[in-house]
Amino acid sequence: MSTSKLGTFEAILLVLSILAPFTVISLSRTMINETKSSVLINIIYITIICLVIAFLIYKLFKKFPGLDILDISQYVGGNVFKNIIGFIFIFYFIITSSIFLRSFCEGLKVVYFPYTDIVYVILLFIIAIAVTNTLGFNSTIRTTSIIFPFLIVSIILLFVGNLNNFSFYRIFPIQGDGFENTFLLGLTNIGCFAGITYLYFLPPLLKEPKKFKYVSILSVLLSGLFIIMCVATLLFMFSIYISTDEIMPLFSVSRYIEFGSFFQRFESLFLLIWTISFCCYLSISCKFSTQILKKIFNLKDSSQLIYILLILTFAIALLPKNYSIINYFETNIYRYLSLALIFLGIFVLVLSNLKKKAGG
Amino acid sequence: MNSILKKIFIIIIILVFLVAFNTSYSALNLDNLAFVIALGIDVSDTKEIKVTFQFVKAPSTTEGSNQESQIIEDSVDANSIANAINIMNTYFAKRLDLSHCRIIVFSEEIAAHGISNYIYTLMNDVQVRPSANIIVSKCNAEYYIKSCDPSLENSISRYYDLFPDSSKYTGYLTNATIGNFFNSLICNYCEPYTILGGVTSSNSGSSQTANVDDSDVQSGSSPISGTKGVENIGMAVFKHDKLVGELNAIETVCFNILKKDVDSFIISIPDPNNENSNIDVFVTPLSKSKIDVKIVNGSPYIKIDYYFGAKVYSVTENSSYLDENSLSAISNSCNKYLESVLSEYLYKTSQEFKSDVTGLGKYVISDFATNQDFENYNWTDNYINSTFDVTIDTNIDSGVLLTKT
Repeated sequence: MSTSKLGTFEAILLVLSILAPFTVISLSRTMINETKSSVLINIIYITIICLVIAFLIYKLFKKFPGLDILDISQYVGGNVFKNIIGFIFIFYFIITSSIFLRSFCEGLKVVYFPYTDIVYVILLFIIAIAVTNTLGFNSTIRTTSIIFPFLIVSIILLFVGNLNNFSFYRIFPIQGDGFENTFLLGLTNIGCFAGITYLYFLPPLLKEPKKFKYVSILSVLLSGLFIIMCVATLLFMFSIYISTDEIMPLFSVSRYIEFGSFFQRFESLFLLIWTISFCCYLSISCKFSTQILKKIFNLKDSSQLIYILLILTFAIALLPKNYSIINYFETNIYRYLSLALIFLGIFVLVLSNLKKKAGG
Repeated sequence: MNSILKKIFIIIIILVFLVAFNTSYSALNLDNLAFVIALGIDVSDTKEIKVTFQFVKAPSTTEGSNQESQIIEDSVDANSIANAINIMNTYFAKRLDLSHCRIIVFSEEIAAHGISNYIYTLMNDVQVRPSANIIVSKCNAEYYIKSCDPSLENSISRYYDLFPDSSKYTGYLTNATIGNFFNSLICNYCEPYTILGGVTSSNSGSSQTANVDDSDVQSGSSPISGTKGVENIGMAVFKHDKLVGELNAIETVCFNILKKDVDSFIISIPDPNNENSNIDVFVTPLSKSKIDVKIVNGSPYIKIDYYFGAKVYSVTENSSYLDENSLSAISNSCNKYLESVLSEYLYKTSQEFKSDVTGLGKYVISDFATNQDFENYNWTDNYINSTFDVTIDTNIDSGVLLTKT
């Protein structure tokens, strides 16, 4: 990874690629269920807070140019502290990617492969990631750069194609379940901006480290816009008091799109784009985990580590007994985990800045 | 050596995936599927429901022959839709596929008992399109489906595709889909509705309803004598999942006007110059129309201000549509007529049906700060106390081609 430096645009796309598949699979639904009709206000509020967090991260990183969170944690507490922080991040990256892989594959199985064992559907993704990682990180980044505009187009098409089915009155009552739910309990939705956790590893990867400020702020801002677009589509489309839960809700939205009686059934195209986008996310996640392991164990060659991590991802993806466990993780654990990681990073950065200040 | 091992590994992987995905591919292979284009659900004498399936058998492609698609209908008594499909899978030795199912028909009897279980089950099926139309039939669903014989279309599935479009230029039916029905079931400010279907009186053998206006017709009692068999005029109104009433053609026009789902329609209004005759006008709703809902003394006060442009369609000898006074008189007559039918429609839905099928609750939801406040108000139950104030402003500007005879 250290040999493949990222341009500013590529770095922004990388952060967005982390968030996009989650939003498409389940986050939009989770956010609506949490805050009901006030979800759009909540997202704007959360985006502003995340922008402040991104700016804070940039400020705290300013004194450590070219270093990532592991280097900084080594500076703060030595190797032991670095290893602890490293393993926490690996745990987060592997667990989230495994569970979301399982969730996405469950959706694919329901729609297209009803008679195929889930093991093979997951294995297909695992092999795809193994191949992309042997081709190098650049190939993943380039694929992300190509596929992400298509992903954006698919989300815009979802919105525009369903305008006839929208009821804009669904943003009312404006406070949703109340002020407290929207602005206090709704703070947990900060965890939906999972891309922030990847910002901690970006500085050494940037071609122009000085542009870390633009990368962090723009990526959070665009993430907010992306989430708003997805959530608005879902909110205007379906009743917020939905007591039912749908697998891949945005896929359900895509089934409503019809332009006359000739242009119908766009969902297959959408699913193809989302599948490639999901592969990009998994590949990025595995690559980051590999690099953390490489730093922890001071390895020169990390090329074989990826296979171990992939086997681990595969095994964890198979662990949930049924969809309810995946759903529980998506709705209850994931956001809190992301939130904890975001604030852990800030905590380490604050400690390092204090140490630097104390040391003169 | 390494390269050979890699190639062997790749071949093994490909073989494994070929075997693994083969079952899904085979099961969804066109040769193994029978495409259902219409699904009917009736009450059964022996089991829970009687499910009717309609298929189209693809025409033979023998050179020189011009065979039409053969339409097949079969029914089965079962305790659930899934069981019915399963039995038919065995009967046809093919897997029934609902991805091309265009209409889902419920008989009046089953709709009166509640259909939420069937709707949830069908929406749970990945094959069922949310855009499939949903119909409540005045007769048996089986009879409705078997009577459907489109006279102007070669393909019955094309007829199913196109017939709801007539709602845009007649307003006599509404494009009710299973997706919308499902959404309305879980909505707390609107109620579900379906298309009202029936078999033409000449086919069913029942007597036509006499002495009704042209616009008071509805499926099952219309004055149509045709070859098509089925007719779709009017709509069925639900309170949650139970059928509570039916709307005739002009009431469905009112529904479509308020939902802003109709581009134009023709109505017969009293001729201001002759009490015993009517004038047909071609009406186009204007976009500046407005609905305002307020809660006054705990009851909804619903103010409806609608604007229409119109042209006189029926012309007789000595008609003059260039005279300002004459046009103004016709406009006033049109206003009175529309105000009257809209008020009647609204009071019918609120007091007789007790169902906000138009979804007027959405106009008041912005007055409530939180969901809890709105739920406490209980809009669906309070809708029966509504007061309606309908104001119509129609501007009749001329005849269509002839302005004076």
